[in-house]
Amino acid sequence: MQLRTDLTNRAEQAAYLAEALAGLYSGPPTPSPIRGGRRAALRRLRAFDARNYARARNDVAPRRNVSALSPYIRHGVLTLAEVRDSIISRFGLTPDTEKFVNELAWRAFWQLVYAHLGDQIYQDIEPAKRRARAPRRSLPPEVVSAQTGLVCIDESLQELYTTGYMHNHARMWVAAYAQHWLGVDWREGAELFYRHLLDGDPASNSLSWQWVGSTFSHKPYIFNRQNVERFSGDAFCSRCALASGGCPFDDSYENLAWRLFGVSLAELEGR
Amino acid sequence: MSAIVWLHGDSLSPNDPALLANPEAPAIFVFDEPFLAAAQLSFKRLFFLYECALEAIAGRAGSIRRGVVVDEVRAFAAEHRALTAHVTASVAPRFQRYVTGLRAAGLQVVIHEPQPFVSWRGEPPRRFSAFWRRVAAEALRPTGPGPALPSEQEVES
Ligand SMILES: Cc1cc2nc3c(=O)[nH]c(=O)nc-3n(C[C@H](O)[C@H](O)[C@H](O)COP(=O)(O)OP(=O)(O)OC[C@H]3O[C@@H](n4cnc5c(N)ncnc54)[C@H](O)[C@@H]3O)c2cc1C
Repeated sequence: MQLRTDLTNRAEQAAYLAEALAGLYSGPPTPSPIRGGRRAALRRLRAFDARNYARARNDVAPRRNVSALSPYIRHGVLTLAEVRDSIISRFGLTPDTEKFVNELAWRAFWQLVYAHLGDQIYQDIEPAKRRARAPRRSLPPEVVSAQTGLVCIDESLQELYTTGYMHNHARMWVAAYAQHWLGVDWREGAELFYRHLLDGDPASNSLSWQWVGSTFSHKPYIFNRQNVERFSGDAFCSRCALASGGCPFDDSYENLAWRLFGVSLAELEGR
Repeated sequence: MSAIVWLHGDSLSPNDPALLANPEAPAIFVFDEPFLAAAQLSFKRLFFLYECALEAIAGRAGSIRRGVVVDEVRAFAAEHRALTAHVTASVAPRFQRYVTGLRAAGLQVVIHEPQPFVSWRGEPPRRFSAFWRRVAAEALRPTGPGPALPSEQEVES
């Protein structure tokens, strides 16, 4: 079936596409505020200021210092080489741009793993180094509906559902929460992300979930409340009803290692 | 003999190498019906692809379709009396299966390589740190100034 290519107004395009692709998507037929296409990609590239990237790339709130170029890179609208060339030629070779290119290389790495393993990336690549003690269960409805009561998790998921983007650090929190605290199989979490992320990529997504889970890394990734507060400028915890009691992340790493995996932190980290 | 360009979601840009190598050729992008019906992605993702595809085919005989990829690309080639489809490589196993399907259907498929980031080919090391140690020098060496950017006034805040 041939689709129309003559509409120029975004709202009209969206209304048309919602009908034309009926049956091929789930959820509301609302476009992301993030625009597709090369022109939008170049505008984003132009707007990204790489100074400070090394120090501030992990900040989820109140200010973000990441490029938000991933949807364009994932779909080949911009190549990794173009982005590298543009950033180094404008900002020079500095610790910030070096860190940024190092992050670009993560994508190149996952793509090489995918080229080598193909659909095997959907299986555990290595045995898990530690298994969470939480009993196995499927993704709970309150995670799917972003109503866990944990503001850091819910707002990250809400952003994913409305924009199709989530900050890297928030992806790590949500992936760790789902796997290590809730006992969810990484494939279920990865599938949820893949359905929504504009940058949803079989390799980057599945392999990052496996990296958090320790089936493609030396140890499971965990975080605690202190980490959330440090990298969110208190944007989440100050509004969280569980902040005064019941926050599952409010503990030392030593205690979390015991609680989640039944081992000491040293054992968890393979020391 | 005339040729067409087949665009897919891993290289959906007016700068796609297969497009650049065939500046006059008609181009097609297909929303992969069986795959999407099973995957049930959010509408946001499909709309993003649509916007990318619209810009990629602008200025040529372009077509965006919904259907079975191999069938739609074949039909499009036939409409343009083309015996050859140009496409840019992807590492996805599904891509390889479609190329095989197109060739089995009698179409000649010419595969273009995407612009490399580093020259590494083949099996990577087990961990990123080992990979980075081996490619860092090359990865950090720019090959040019990068694409021409819009002026500051055009940039959204
Ligand atoms: C659980 C989980 C799932 C993820 N799923 C995806 C996915 O489906 N698609 C995807 O592109 N990235 C994925 N990532 C990696 C990373 O979160 C995103 O690439 C990044 O957040 C994109 O935002 P940005 O463009 O602002 O990043 P920036 O920090 O500005 O980085 C620039 C570019 O480098 C690449 N990049 C940076 N970090 C990574 C990384 N860790 N892995 C791979 N590429 C990276 C991206 O192309 C990114 O656009 C995932 C990470 C986690 C923890």
